[in-house]
Amino acid sequence: MTKRQKSNPSDSEKASGAHETDYASLIRASQAGSHAAMERLLMKAQEVAYRFSLLVCGHADDADDAMQEALLKTYRYAAQIQQPEAFRTWLYRTVKNACLISRRKRVHEPARVWSLDEPVVGEDGHAQALDVVDPGRRPDEIMANTRLRRRLREALQTLDPGYREIVFLREVEGLSTKEVAAVVGISEANVKTRLHRARLMLRQQLEG
Amino acid sequence: MSPQGHAPDRCRALLVQLSTYVDGELAGADRRAVVAHLKHCPCCQAMADGLRHTVETCRKAKAARLPADVRARARARIAALLAAEAGK
Repeated sequence: MTKRQKSNPSDSEKASGAHETDYASLIRASQAGSHAAMERLLMKAQEVAYRFSLLVCGHADDADDAMQEALLKTYRYAAQIQQPEAFRTWLYRTVKNACLISRRKRVHEPARVWSLDEPVVGEDGHAQALDVVDPGRRPDEIMANTRLRRRLREALQTLDPGYREIVFLREVEGLSTKEVAAVVGISEANVKTRLHRARLMLRQQLEG
Repeated sequence: MSPQGHAPDRCRALLVQLSTYVDGELAGADRRAVVAHLKHCPCCQAMADGLRHTVETCRKAKAARLPADVRARARARIAALLAAEAGK
């Protein structure tokens, strides 16, 4: 086995574990009275709601509603949760339900996937692209990533929503198979099967 | 042909395990069988590389944050909520 092959799973698991610890630490700190921890937790909850709205539900207009819902529910739940490690699963389930409620109201409208590079209209009416986390990257790197994300968006659009949701939770957000199963409400075996099929379809799109 | 090499039935059977292997969740004899097969089957090796590339592409999509106006509204919501709760 190559070194690269060996590093992938451990990186993935480490990333997943790191997120769990991150949320759990914020919960514990906020329960202990940290104002800053609560603010960070509430921001992270809204970020998840925003990404889910755009990439899975495909409606930018619903993002604010989903973010508001995630904010209020997180605030109430953070004070009473007994197992902080379970927070992340709860958050994604809550966000998913909030987005589905919004989507049902738009049942006659075709769903679409928004690109992370696609301009979003701001309050002032002007188009605004999403910020990139690392502003120090070279222009050619930014261009390459922009092309990459556009191709991914186009590939995601070809997937059935059931597959898109799995790809989003597992690949983009880095949830474990067990967490995805808990959020979606299917068995871990089904998550693996759907994920494998989705990866094959995505691979075909990305390399085609 | 090598006993581990390309054969449609064997490749098809291993294909369902490739995602699990790419995720590092395949263990024991199953994992050893996949590793041995990939060494002798360029088709499945290319498929494994493709799956790994697909996974990496998806993970890069998280490297973006909220637009400034959305972030500002999110912050305003937090401030309003915490202020209202503090006033209770």
